Amino acid sequence: MAEHTQRKSFFRRPKSCPFTGNKAPAIDWKNPKLLGRYVSERGKMTPSRITSVSQKKQRELAKAVKRARFMALMPYLQNGDE
Amino acid sequence: MPYYETVFMARQDLTDTQVKALTDHFSKVITDHKGKILKTESWGLLNLAYKINKAKKAHYILIESDTTGETIQEMERLMRIHDDVVRSLTVRLEEPTTEPSAIIGGSDDSDSKPRYNKKEAA
Repeated sequence: MAEHTQRKSFFRRPKSCPFTGNKAPAIDWKNPKLLGRYVSERGKMTPSRITSVSQKKQRELAKAVKRARFMALMPYLQNGDE
Repeated sequence: MPYYETVFMARQDLTDTQVKALTDHFSKVITDHKGKILKTESWGLLNLAYKINKAKKAHYILIESDTTGETIQEMERLMRIHDDVVRSLTVRLEEPTTEPSAIIGGSDDSDSKPRYNKKEAA
């Protein structure tokens, strides 16, 4: 795939999901600081192939981000066309 | 009985005492219907991520309770009618939380990984 050759010039992604394990933080929609790490600069969610979050946790993360957006703790779009 | 957590936002014009009265008003609805209030938190006046009704800030209040679904429905109905409540969200919890919310203090994220490169994503 062309993406593999592209990704070599980027960082190497971590090996395991950051949300599974003993000391893993809980995915909480009320924690925009934690959620903000899995969101791009524009406010869009980063895909799990980059963050290496497991599928199940990525779904939970998506739900949490959407809830945070609804409660205005996170923006839907940042630096949008204003 | 199941555990619920409700976060609602009050208009920024309200004073602190009015916000407290609002919280007590909704807490009373729960206790009147034989529910229990486990935790009440006031996150204060926070900046909103986007303008809601042309306001940039709002008071955030969290109520964690142990009640029935009908009580929660009643409380939500009252919140919807109330003018001072801008937005609310009720989520069902598996088990009650032990620490204060992350926004106030709570558990801190000691592992601050750098934000991922956004060239691909954005």
